[in-house]
Amino acid sequence: MALVPLNYNLRSLIQRRTSTFLTALALGATVATVAGVLALQQGFETLFTKSGRDDVVVFLRKGAASEGESAFTRDDTRYLVNSITEIAKDASGKPIAAVESFLALRRRKMDGGETNVPVRGVSPMSFDLMGDRLKITSGRTFQPSSDEVIIGAKLAGRIQNTLVGDTIVFNMTPFKVVGIFENDGPAGSEVWGDVERIIEALDRPLFNRVIAKLADSSPDALAAFNARMQADVQSPCEVKTEAEYLAGLTGMLSGLLQFVGSILGSVMGIAAVFTATNTMLSAIASRTHEIGILLATGFRPIPIFLSFMFESLVLGVFGGAIGCLLVLPVNGIETGTSNFATFTEVAFAFKITPQVLTSAVIFSLVLGLLAGAWPAWKAAMMKPTEALRRS
Amino acid sequence: MVPFRVIWRNLFGHPVRSLLTAASLVVAMFLLCVLRSLVVTLDAGVTEARTDRLVVQSAASLFVTLPENYRGKVAAVEGVKHVCSWTWFGAYYQRRENFFAQFSTDQDTLLAMYPEMEIVAGDYERFRLNRNSCIVGEALVKSYGFKLGDKVPLIGTFIQRLDGQPWEFEVAAVYRSKAGTLDSGTLFFHHEFLKKAREEKLCTGEEGVNTYVVKVADGNDPITVASRIDSLFENGPQKVQTTTEAEFNAQFVSMIGNIPFFLSAIGSGVLFAIVMAVVNTMLMASREQTRAVGILKALGFTSTTVFLVFLLQAITLSLLGGGTGVALALATSDALRDALGTTFPNYVVSHDTVVVGLIVTVVVGLIAGLVPALKLAKLNPVNALRAEQ
Amino acid sequence: MITLRQVVKSYSRGGETLVVLDHLDLTVADGQFCALMGPSGSGKSTLLNLVGGLDHADSGVVEVGGEDLTSMSNDELAGWRASSVGFVFQGFNLIPVLTAIENVTLPLLLAPLSGKQRREHAEYALELVGLKDRMHHRPGQLSGGQEQRVAIARALVTDPQLILADEPTGDLDRNSADQVLGLMQRLNSEMKKTIVMVTHDPAAAAHAGTLVHLDKGKLVRIEQQTPVSAGAR
Repeated sequence: MALVPLNYNLRSLIQRRTSTFLTALALGATVATVAGVLALQQGFETLFTKSGRDDVVVFLRKGAASEGESAFTRDDTRYLVNSITEIAKDASGKPIAAVESFLALRRRKMDGGETNVPVRGVSPMSFDLMGDRLKITSGRTFQPSSDEVIIGAKLAGRIQNTLVGDTIVFNMTPFKVVGIFENDGPAGSEVWGDVERIIEALDRPLFNRVIAKLADSSPDALAAFNARMQADVQSPCEVKTEAEYLAGLTGMLSGLLQFVGSILGSVMGIAAVFTATNTMLSAIASRTHEIGILLATGFRPIPIFLSFMFESLVLGVFGGAIGCLLVLPVNGIETGTSNFATFTEVAFAFKITPQVLTSAVIFSLVLGLLAGAWPAWKAAMMKPTEALRRS
Repeated sequence: MVPFRVIWRNLFGHPVRSLLTAASLVVAMFLLCVLRSLVVTLDAGVTEARTDRLVVQSAASLFVTLPENYRGKVAAVEGVKHVCSWTWFGAYYQRRENFFAQFSTDQDTLLAMYPEMEIVAGDYERFRLNRNSCIVGEALVKSYGFKLGDKVPLIGTFIQRLDGQPWEFEVAAVYRSKAGTLDSGTLFFHHEFLKKAREEKLCTGEEGVNTYVVKVADGNDPITVASRIDSLFENGPQKVQTTTEAEFNAQFVSMIGNIPFFLSAIGSGVLFAIVMAVVNTMLMASREQTRAVGILKALGFTSTTVFLVFLLQAITLSLLGGGTGVALALATSDALRDALGTTFPNYVVSHDTVVVGLIVTVVVGLIAGLVPALKLAKLNPVNALRAEQ
Repeated sequence: MITLRQVVKSYSRGGETLVVLDHLDLTVADGQFCALMGPSGSGKSTLLNLVGGLDHADSGVVEVGGEDLTSMSNDELAGWRASSVGFVFQGFNLIPVLTAIENVTLPLLLAPLSGKQRREHAEYALELVGLKDRMHHRPGQLSGGQEQRVAIARALVTDPQLILADEPTGDLDRNSADQVLGLMQRLNSEMKKTIVMVTHDPAAAAHAGTLVHLDKGKLVRIEQQTPVSAGAR
């Protein structure tokens, strides 16, 4: 079966370049919008899910899904850190567990407006648990038991009084900013200070979570441990890996973004398909004579159908390429949104991953194919005599 | 005189193309109206805020509670008419996904302070007198089917009953919100009830309340009253920050941060795509109608008329599609609000949105029609008559 | 009726200037049926466009019905065309999306008439060309000859003194052509319209009373003749 030379289609696209370009732009804008939402979801997901560790566990009050909802008394934390035998010990025999407090404090942004900044009170062991994932990039870390704090790099400079040397006041107590730290996870937009000093300054004698390393961190051991702690009489807890905990916090928002992306994709996709269908119909109408000649020469309907499907697919490719170009500049743009689970602001960046680009191109190709189907079928069904008569 | 029939008939000269373009416009304008309505709904708490209400909160954090005894102290401040406390409860119904707002509040002042609260079923008095009862917003009735007399079980998160049982509140009344300042997806119950449970050590959670909302007595300057309240607690134990209702609500809008920006960005994407689509259609139409333009000119129609004929054609097409989209957004306003449930309980497609939608529609038509219309108007009739039809 | 003095019209094509009308002088008296003849490129259609006010001459004077077209702006020309001249083209040039009566009504939109008057005028014009029963058909539903008759109805509906026809029978078969030519003869003889018709078909030209021969943009000769009657053959 002889195929129609692809050159015909490419030449037609070039000849009708205004229409080709406008259609590709319409497809591109659609693809770029959807890809932008996906990039947002990717950035969010990377920040939370991928920064969680599997060998660190988080203890929360039973029934609480986030630190904000969880509360432990001092007695609870003593019990958890010292009496739970499953927690690993370091070389000197100390349990590798850290007690932390967490509270969102209202702070002024540099560019106006207020936002809730997560302030975490940490124990010395918190740093050991973080390891080299937390890097001090300027200044130094805070002295234990002192009124000093260090600031996550994503906050520094965005919130008032968050640069080294500044003084930041919590309730009535001034804290000195002594260092800036970097972390790829949500901690990168937190303020860290000594847990005892912070709960005292805030007049809030409650701790929010305990994090620890388990001696046996296999999934089975963890499941058994969690079951035991849920039923613990003295201090019932939920125990999750840090990865699970973070994924749980963001699952809703991440899912919402995916949902928005797919709704937008289908709704805007319909409009884009209509646009491209119009272009293809017009291309075919203006080439009726040519189709007549092809049919008269002996080309079968299927190659003619394929020929126009190819042309529409090329439109899709152009659209996809334009869409990718349009969306690329947002890569890395930092933005903030509320983490609804803790009501704090988290800073994260749009992330154009290969996955986003692949989805964008596939989406565009699908749009092209959908748009081409009916016009191509119409072309293939033409009668040669009629096609030749109409000029 | 403009030959309107030519405009109208030309639109249907290519019925399939006009239909597809109009359908794209329907989709695009529907989407734009919905997006704008979402942004407007988000902002309604700020734009519709009342100037005679102030909010007293901890200067440190919304999550730090204020002492119970502040209620009396605030009420005694000169210029304060009513005080009503709001405390976040943060529980959920059956499953974690069934999340909606619950606040403990002061039953004696709530209705007096929020005239936008309209009781649509049951009896506020019954709520006021019954300590275990609650009042729920219309959106909750729609989403979860709560009925008068139902006992709504709520599972606590940070305020949990120590006996492990869920909290239970009997529905005494249902309210509808008439303004963006009051969410119609909220459950209110007696703060006294919560306070007692805490005092009797029946539950976890801190003592105190999140915010005291103040109604300023007539003839008093809210800003002066606010600074009186602030200075009262200048030296602790909890420093407070008193703001207008608008500022307080703006805090939440700014916290959800860039969502209005995201929605606008999506909107621009939609708009850009639809403009390209309509421009494409009008260019195709202008190519086909070149000869007809030649005829009109030969018959003595002026360039201005030809320009108008084509421009009006673009605007008519745009209005046919875009107007339908706007109408669809308006018609589905209630259905969408119910579908969005407690996420956007106050979602509404406002008249402003309809007007903006129609203006955008006309502008899209103008943009799409302008260049080809100018080109056609400038054509020399002899050349236009030579064009293929 | 029509006076052309020293009219020059040239086009530039591919960098070369092509003189289409070269200092042409021509007069057509009121009430004449005049056939413009000449080989391709002799300037017939260009001449017709100038007389119809569709185009501007480079130099010289074009006077029609006592009005100097050369001094008019584009908009003034449009207004003049609307009231003073009717066109009939080779390709009929009806607007395909409008019905026959709508096409005929079109020029009347430019005249200060009521809707009812417009309808009456248009119906009358269609009756004159014998197509009243087809008035709600679209051009695509008519034969070529019928389309051309609708076009003639449109040309005369504003009752202009001058009718210009550019190869009106070029796309028609002999029978339809005869009908159309007969119609034009009637317009000339009964309604006293001045008609200028471009054609390269001697059989069509035979229906005119005056033959004007052009070649290379210049007037070659003018002949008077006894027109053949359309019904005669």
